Amino acid sequence: MGKQSMGNIAYNELCRMDTLLYLLVYPQRPLLTTRTIELVGYDKLGAGQNATVAVMSYSGYDIEDAIVMNKSSLDRGFGRCIVMKKYSAINQKYENNTSDRILRPDRTGPAAERMQILDNDGIAAPGEIIRPNDIYINKESPIETRGTMVSSTGQSDSKYRPTRQTYKGPEGETCVVDRVALCSDKNNSLCIKFLIRHTRRPEVGDKFSSRHGQKGVCGTIIQQEDFPFSERGICPDLIMNPHGFPSRMTVGKMIELLGGKAGVSCGRFHYGSAFGEPSGHADKVETISETLVRHGFSYSGKDLIYSGISGCPLQAYIFMGPIYYQKLKHMVLDKMHARGSGPRVMLTRQPTEGRARNGGLRVGEMERDCLIAYGASMLIFERLMISSDPFEVQVLAHACYKGLYHLLHCTLQDNIYLVPQVCRVCGLLGYYNHKLKAGICSTCKNGDNISTMKLPYACKLLIQIWEAFLLYL
Amino acid sequence: MEGVSYQRFPRVKIRELKDDYAKFELGDTDASMANALRRVMIAEVPTIAIDLVEIEVNSSVLNDEFIAHRLGLIPLTSEKAMSMRFSRDCDACDGDGQCEYCSVEFHLRAKCMGDQTLDVTSKDLISSDHNVVPVDLADSYAYDSSDQQRGIIIVKLRRGQELRLRAIARKGIGKDHAKWSPAATVTFMYEPEIHINEDLMETLTLAERQAWVESSPTKVFDLDEATGQLKGCLLLQEVVVVDHEAYTYDEEVIKKAEAMGKPGLVEIYGKEDSFIFTVESTGAIKASQMVLNAIEVLKQKLDAVRLSEDTVEADDQFGELGAHMRGG
Repeated sequence: MGKQSMGNIAYNELCRMDTLLYLLVYPQRPLLTTRTIELVGYDKLGAGQNATVAVMSYSGYDIEDAIVMNKSSLDRGFGRCIVMKKYSAINQKYENNTSDRILRPDRTGPAAERMQILDNDGIAAPGEIIRPNDIYINKESPIETRGTMVSSTGQSDSKYRPTRQTYKGPEGETCVVDRVALCSDKNNSLCIKFLIRHTRRPEVGDKFSSRHGQKGVCGTIIQQEDFPFSERGICPDLIMNPHGFPSRMTVGKMIELLGGKAGVSCGRFHYGSAFGEPSGHADKVETISETLVRHGFSYSGKDLIYSGISGCPLQAYIFMGPIYYQKLKHMVLDKMHARGSGPRVMLTRQPTEGRARNGGLRVGEMERDCLIAYGASMLIFERLMISSDPFEVQVLAHACYKGLYHLLHCTLQDNIYLVPQVCRVCGLLGYYNHKLKAGICSTCKNGDNISTMKLPYACKLLIQIWEAFLLYL
Repeated sequence: MEGVSYQRFPRVKIRELKDDYAKFELGDTDASMANALRRVMIAEVPTIAIDLVEIEVNSSVLNDEFIAHRLGLIPLTSEKAMSMRFSRDCDACDGDGQCEYCSVEFHLRAKCMGDQTLDVTSKDLISSDHNVVPVDLADSYAYDSSDQQRGIIIVKLRRGQELRLRAIARKGIGKDHAKWSPAATVTFMYEPEIHINEDLMETLTLAERQAWVESSPTKVFDLDEATGQLKGCLLLQEVVVVDHEAYTYDEEVIKKAEAMGKPGLVEIYGKEDSFIFTVESTGAIKASQMVLNAIEVLKQKLDAVRLSEDTVEADDQFGELGAHMRGG
């Protein structure tokens, strides 16, 4: 219902070309509404599903607001969603009257396998299953884009280089090309838009929320036969931990559960508002409870539940009934990330940052502090240098621990392997002369006292920046 | 421990039996047995369901995965599922699951030509095996079999839209995917035993009795018209148990009795060796068959334990139980 939930977004949702669109496969109308919801027509476009919720603890995977989900419910379509993402390609026109061109796909050759989903026009066909590294448009761009005017048609193949666009989606998932739209952009060049669809079922870590701000991630998914059941045969879709209630005081959620339960048993949508009872815009909890009793449930909305694992009745009565649950757009599939070795930033030679750039996970200041406090010096050394940006420099070092030479001795006492190739006279950075095959100190103009040392590249960078304004370490 | 035997002789008493519904009593056993039966019915009785869909043409409003998911959830008559092979251990087709021993092929062709929306339903699925067809509850029940009652809707088509596909149904169990579960509802309850303290009840007035009877959400107790007349006054109708199974262990009557200042008016406890099962089937197999198949599966599982070498080796762990299972 809010900005993060999924459901129907509009009646024309399937005719649109949004950059990113989240839809629910089976949206439902809430069992418990309010007058306002009816007035604004919010129940006309579903934004969630009515889940049978049991308020109890189960398996321990429901601590800290996590929820336990029933696998059979997920199999049957609960929380299933469609993610549509737009990818576009422009058939660019250039200054010298040349333009990009789209070629028919290679049916043989090295790239043929990656071009399987292309139609003969070189554009991915709707309905095709697209996998990571598949080419969705077989485009070529002219090498020469400036200078003298060229006739737009008569360019030989050698004047073009391939600028194919490859799909980079989640590995191991099957996505489908939903729609392809061809249009012209503001520069009047051909623009091709691909809408790629991915249907996802909920998995551990996906975020769900009721309409009372009680959000939580899916902690675990459990088989239906292990789930608790009532003697009527009702088995919850979802188990929520009761610790979510006392501090948050979401009484509305409890009323929703009662009202929803009364709603399903008597076949009337109830109002869940806390106000307006005299005017009939809200149902009193007493009347709701009486409806429950009339249909054979207990007054309090609690049921006797049997454990699905042992078959024995649970000691406590469980508060169970339908609550409208929304799936929020934060899904693990879009967020999970890990990296071994990978790309680095050019400037600092440190690993990149962020999931999109396949970045590393930072050992920050606080983490470093912990390691220092623990005394794990070799671990700090590894994280901050070996795994980050090690660099070897030629340094001119002074005999009495000076500058970098001093720094080096503090960190590495073992100067058998790492005889510091540092100038032992001035303590400044030298360089390696490939002609002489020796380190040279540009300050002393010789290579007598040169040593090599290892230090973070970022550190070397800092030293050089300082040297640039005549600050010598 | 002399004379202790793990052997039990469970007793089944059938209460009600319909094609898709069964109610029976399982006695002389304990919760482990009842629950094992329930779990097997939900998760391990095999059925047949559509598992692979090849879509040729789909210009409907629903996307391919959506339709495939809906097709999978359609129950298919699966009487032959017990004798069928799992496609993963089918020798005839090396497990690719496209042979007659382990799969059934379906075709669906629908195109809307007229101005009216066309409902594509499970009846439009053409099966290659007449034993395996979509379940139609209208067949077994005497619904007025008018044209409206046409199976399970898969998708609706408007003019010009078309759906053409080939689907392969395979054998599977509910543990893998809920579509293979034959159970709509499988549940049991402990049979309640209700004792009304007649002496205490005598002390109640009619109005009190009435209020007490009505405090139960389900109709367990009632005032007996006959006894009241017998005693010549309507004022003191006796409270009788009309339906002890309707009791849902909600303790509302006990609370009510306490609120009335008569604790101990009624004593209710569950019999620990008698269970009332309610079994509802999706229609894939008959409810009664589902119970029998579940027992069969359970037997196979026990055989697997009994015959495995591990149980002999782990005798100190299983002890008498292991020996018993080997038939010793």
